[in-house]
Amino acid sequence: MSKLKILLFAVFCFAFAANTFSQNEISPERKRAIDSLALEKIRDLSKYISIVGSKETPFSEANRVIERTLELFADDAQIGVSSLYQPEIKYYGVRSYLEHLMALNYDKITISWYNIQYISDLELQPDGRYVGVITIYQRFEGESSDGLSYKDTTKKDITVYVERKQTQIGGKLIGFWDVMLGDVRVTETVK
Amino acid sequence: MKLTTVCFVFILFFIPNVQSQTIDKFVDDESMLYAHTKQVNQFFRRFNGEEDRYGERFSINDPLFQNGQYRKEFINLLFDKESTIISNTLKVDFIDDVSNAEHPNFLNFHGGKWFAQVKTSFLYKGSEKECTLFLKLQEEKVGSKWVITNVLFEPFTSYFINTDSISESQRKFLHPLSHELDFMNLIKVFKQDQIIEQFAEEGFSPDYLSLFIYEFRKGSFQFKNIKEVKFHIFQINNWYFELSEFNRKGNNSGWLISNLLKIPEADKEILKRFIYHN
Repeated sequence: MSKLKILLFAVFCFAFAANTFSQNEISPERKRAIDSLALEKIRDLSKYISIVGSKETPFSEANRVIERTLELFADDAQIGVSSLYQPEIKYYGVRSYLEHLMALNYDKITISWYNIQYISDLELQPDGRYVGVITIYQRFEGESSDGLSYKDTTKKDITVYVERKQTQIGGKLIGFWDVMLGDVRVTETVK
Repeated sequence: MKLTTVCFVFILFFIPNVQSQTIDKFVDDESMLYAHTKQVNQFFRRFNGEEDRYGERFSINDPLFQNGQYRKEFINLLFDKESTIISNTLKVDFIDDVSNAEHPNFLNFHGGKWFAQVKTSFLYKGSEKECTLFLKLQEEKVGSKWVITNVLFEPFTSYFINTDSISESQRKFLHPLSHELDFMNLIKVFKQDQIIEQFAEEGFSPDYLSLFIYEFRKGSFQFKNIKEVKFHIFQINNWYFELSEFNRKGNNSGWLISNLLKIPEADKEILKRFIYHN
């Protein structure tokens, strides 16, 4: 997150600090602001997946984007993937999932996204962080040179951790809400 | 304060309109995906009449928020329409009951009286076995968490014998003066083929979770996978229903009611015990 965004978001949170909700409680207004921040991360993730998956992306650029993607996630995040023909969940680390995507043996890959997302409530967990789940849908199309093609639509349920942090701006400690992505469940949908 | 207000207005212009945002390249056929009940959270919201058909939350002041008529229509869509085990009469009765204008029933995520049943697979002593875990949401000083309450694992359950199935004449016991002989007759209790459950106190019931933890610590279990998740909901007065996830074509997909029973509150414990042991 850029410093400007932190500053703007911190000021936004500060503006609401005096209302009936305490510093660590989330008012509906703040929830909407956090949802926007979380969706911004999801949009980044979606964009990065499209870039890494594309056959037009040079190897070095794809690797750079993988590093950027990893910054969105908590360290121990895993991606659990199942398909209609392989209902057993396969677990990947984020890096390994992206490298797997990069190495897919198609000549042309198109990754597109449905304009739909569902955001759960934010629930407080025992360590004081909030957790939510955002659901999005992705369409994948892969074509090989011999004309064979593969298409699927997957549902991605993405864990979002929201944590109140502090940063020093102009000598003052300012609180802000930070968002990290966690485990992702990927399910192939019947369409 | 003025500065804060100016900042707030300024920032409001920069907060993206979530609905109008685009991620990258979109696919336009999404009506079915809107219809799917995508999360358990959404099932609760839809059941309570707290969001519109696109998943946008109603404000508390919206006339449709928890509106009885709106709920009546929406809850009807939350049933597995391919199921034959739920009769239409029972369904209508349930919907009328929960959306009743005077005494409506709502679901509450933190309201207790619901739990998850998770079918998993483990490698147990080298071979793959199915193991069912039961979990409930436990409230903590700060927040909440899912905790394991019970385990159903055939190699465990088959080891225990229901002592009610042993006839009175066949039952063995430690006579009331065994203590005078320093319980020397325990040697008979622990003969290899003896059913030792019959020497346990009345009401004894095996604790499979402790057994599971013990075996796991010993290294007998190795986690493989999740096979199925469903929920048992007891929150509605005199009703029980089961929530399962469906992945299929059409609008009737996602988290849906897969079983429904009208059951007096007094009998719910019996049903819970049945679910825990079957």
